[in-house]
Amino acid sequence: MPGIVKNKRSISVGKIIVYIILATWATTTIYPFIWVIINAFKSSTEVVRNSFSLPEVFTLKNFTNAFSNQNILQSYKNSLIISGTVTVAVMVLATMIAFALTRYQFRFKTALLGLLSASLMIPVFSTIIPVYKMMSGLGWISTYQAVILPQIAGNLSFAAIVMMGFLRGLPLEMEEAAYMEGAGVAKVFTRIIVPLCRPSLATVAIFCFLWSYNDLFTQKILISREKMFPISNLLEHISSKYGTDYGLMAASVTLIVIPVLIVYIFLQKNIVKGLTAGAIKG
Amino acid sequence: MRNFKKVVALLIVTMMVFVTLSACGSGNKETTAADTKETAAGGETTGEADTSVTDEKITLTTASMMGGTDPNTEHYQEVIQAFMKKYPNVTIEDSSQVSDQTWKAKIAAQFSVGDEPDVIQFFTDNNASEVLAADQFVTIEEIRKVYPDYAADVMDSAWQASANPDGVNRAVPTTGFWEGLFCNKDLFDEYGLELPTDWDSFIKAVETFKENGIVPVAVSLNEVPHYWIEHLMLSAAGGEVFTEVPTDADGNLVARSPEEWVKGLEILKELYDMGAFPKDSQTISNDAANELFKTKQAAMQLDGSWYANGIDDQENTVVIAFPVVENGNKGPNDIIGGLSSGFYITRKAWDDPLKRAAAVEFVKMNTSKEQIEIYWNGNGMATVELEAPADMTPLGVSGLELSNAATGTFAPTDARIAGEAYSSIITSAVDLVNGTKTAEEILNNALQINIDSQE
Amino acid sequence: MLYKKKAPLAAFLLPGFIMLFIFLYIPFVDNIRNSLYNMKGFVELQKFIGLSNYQEMLQDAKLHTALINSLKMMALTVVFQVGIALILAVLVNNIKKGQQLFRTVYFFPIVISATAIGLLFNLFYNYNGGALNQILEAAGKEPVNWLGASTALIMIVIPTIWSYVGFYFVIILTGLCDISEDIYEAAAIDGCNKSQAVFRITLPLLRGVICTCITLAVTGALKVFDLPWVIAPQGAPGGITHFMGTYMYQMAFVNLNVDYGAAIAVVIVALGVAVSLIINKILKPDENL
Repeated sequence: MPGIVKNKRSISVGKIIVYIILATWATTTIYPFIWVIINAFKSSTEVVRNSFSLPEVFTLKNFTNAFSNQNILQSYKNSLIISGTVTVAVMVLATMIAFALTRYQFRFKTALLGLLSASLMIPVFSTIIPVYKMMSGLGWISTYQAVILPQIAGNLSFAAIVMMGFLRGLPLEMEEAAYMEGAGVAKVFTRIIVPLCRPSLATVAIFCFLWSYNDLFTQKILISREKMFPISNLLEHISSKYGTDYGLMAASVTLIVIPVLIVYIFLQKNIVKGLTAGAIKG
Repeated sequence: MRNFKKVVALLIVTMMVFVTLSACGSGNKETTAADTKETAAGGETTGEADTSVTDEKITLTTASMMGGTDPNTEHYQEVIQAFMKKYPNVTIEDSSQVSDQTWKAKIAAQFSVGDEPDVIQFFTDNNASEVLAADQFVTIEEIRKVYPDYAADVMDSAWQASANPDGVNRAVPTTGFWEGLFCNKDLFDEYGLELPTDWDSFIKAVETFKENGIVPVAVSLNEVPHYWIEHLMLSAAGGEVFTEVPTDADGNLVARSPEEWVKGLEILKELYDMGAFPKDSQTISNDAANELFKTKQAAMQLDGSWYANGIDDQENTVVIAFPVVENGNKGPNDIIGGLSSGFYITRKAWDDPLKRAAAVEFVKMNTSKEQIEIYWNGNGMATVELEAPADMTPLGVSGLELSNAATGTFAPTDARIAGEAYSSIITSAVDLVNGTKTAEEILNNALQINIDSQE
Repeated sequence: MLYKKKAPLAAFLLPGFIMLFIFLYIPFVDNIRNSLYNMKGFVELQKFIGLSNYQEMLQDAKLHTALINSLKMMALTVVFQVGIALILAVLVNNIKKGQQLFRTVYFFPIVISATAIGLLFNLFYNYNGGALNQILEAAGKEPVNWLGASTALIMIVIPTIWSYVGFYFVIILTGLCDISEDIYEAAAIDGCNKSQAVFRITLPLLRGVICTCITLAVTGALKVFDLPWVIAPQGAPGGITHFMGTYMYQMAFVNLNVDYGAAIAVVIVALGVAVSLIINKILKPDENL
């Protein structure tokens, strides 16, 4: 009994320190977010001259401006379709690659790992023109697939590497048990690995979606028709040699960020503990 | 397990959705192509070429550099709407954007694979060299053979200034720009200074402002040293030497820059050492430098006509011609400016009997006297004869006086040498003021790059 | 013993690698080819110049600066970005209240575009009336040119590292979820206290994930472009704050020396592959399996 009381006290002090650390970091991450939102309601000149305080002149003009620059609902739809497809495709393909590279031993393994790292490094600037030519040849410019396909490739290596990291942490016991019962590889993959990977899949999905969603460069080059513009294209309207409209930028960033946060909060619920519980005992 | 099924279901649904969408897209393309073939065959049998806009349903693809915060973005979109209202069978698909490097790369890629738009508002000078090389534009001469009144309002001087580097006119220019020294007149008055119309009063102003804690000249040497480089070279060399890319006796390009160019550029370092620029001129962003001028923390800024609209104080700001440097050859009222863009029609549209008339009409709508007046709006130079708008601000009037009084208008250097060569000068501005490179090195290197790119 | 039959291997690997092949490897071969020619503009090849771009790199002082800066960034990201993320993740994993809040909030900097974050920091660093200088002036001190030659690099590195901590935080947190509670319970019964548990159970079991994070951090440092470019475009001042990623962009899109930019891309890829293979050899992430 005395042992428990002692534990409680020391946990309290430790816990306070922990919360202080966490709260400090949290302030640094919340502040820019609030800053962007506050500045969305200011005029451009006020943003530059008075950026850190509440708006002196509260205005909704930036948002009306943004809505007139692009069909916002259509853009959201485009972004969701593109990024959603990319995310699902990458999750499937990446998990398959990660599974093969962590579970199997074979001759070309190092070479493939090298190739995977190489594709992680390839800058998007260097491959965009050949991809453009490819898509143009297929008549796919300004279509969803023109953006989806290169983005799948671009994200695949990152996702595969992350999934590899997670799969390495999964104890082999459950797979062993399944094989002993006579299950085939496909069954093990779909019924054991994938469900166990739910948190990892959610994590990869979040970043995949985010990266694809914010990838303005690829979308800019491969999409020309206004109807097909994704929401990140809002950032194209904020400047020219006539000057940058910072209020519009803040409003555009706010509009762009909202769906991503929703997706994140939704997917985040999947990052839960306890899926591997019982593995050792079982 | 349930989650996995969800994932698979989601995957199937998403795949189905985009397959359906892309199928729809390509479906449309097929029918349009079929239509064109049929009616083209029909057209051939009618005999005389019909110059009026077709009745068939067509799509015209257009592109322009009027995007972002450019005030003409709205006006251009209005023309598109008006056009589609007048010709309900024509759908215009426009993709206009501010012309940054990414957009230029995209356009170059489009032209290289035959994906170019039917009508495009684009550069007419060396900035368009990659695209011009694809030779996909119709010349004004060719167009006028079929449409004699094409762009009839445009002045001769405008045609001259907007010819492509090979001397041929392909684009219809709408507006041009001038560049000048913007001054916060109220600051000059406060310190009893004359406007810097000559070099002595310029230096005096720099020294006085510096003593009194005001930044004499606002500039971002890192992002936009362009104007200072151009004006110093023009001021020292005079228009003729400034605009002549050096050649040897046989007319071959040489990498030996004229003395006057070098002398002009060296003044940039002198001014930097004198403290004429902001203390953080090597890292300050262009927007922040603009802020210095607009909030009266800096007295002068060298910039172009587009800058005038963004200045809040239109009453106490004036713009004057850049002064002549010591021993300089420029005329006091010579300025840098010109026409560097216009509306092109591509061969793709011209050779298509259905699209030709529509494309011509679209350009005509954008280049009529009324429309040019709207685009001009008192800012920069107009390519047709126009009266000054009645409600111009004092700064607007000042700008108009500048361009009207100009004894010579010279195009900046990027109109004459290859893009890569010009960039090498711009990106070396910081090296110049730091002393890591000399003006002569920078200019000779640029000329060499220009020579290499011509092969 | 478990995975001996190689037949299904192809099924798992082929679809993904085919995508990579078509949309990454083949276009990159184009890029390699571009680096061997002099290019006129973005698309047209002009003259075959062989390895001359690569030879030029050996003499290019600004490239060397960029490379050194990238190496510094690599070290700093591993220590700070992954390090801070690891600490935060372990802490958040161990608390009961507020887990959801912290998990959501730490993610914010990643979703906000680099343009906005860059602007925010520029407004801090601005010599004339930036927030940091305002604080200095209020305290009676001289304003500092934060982006001047002596301090520029660190002022750029700080926001770059800060903004992506959340990324590794989420990854490590996910990795922590895979560690079953049973292990901790068993250890507690054996007399293991909390901090011992972290060092003897958590960290070793996170080996694979930490290796992933380090690989991503290091390769990310080589590629980094967005934020440094917005805060200090063109490696301001005078190119001393260039990283490999920004230098490549500058060469290709600002200087319009597209073939040189392509050559730099090739070097970035080669370096990245070398570095990740080295990391894999050192950290031996497959130990646990």
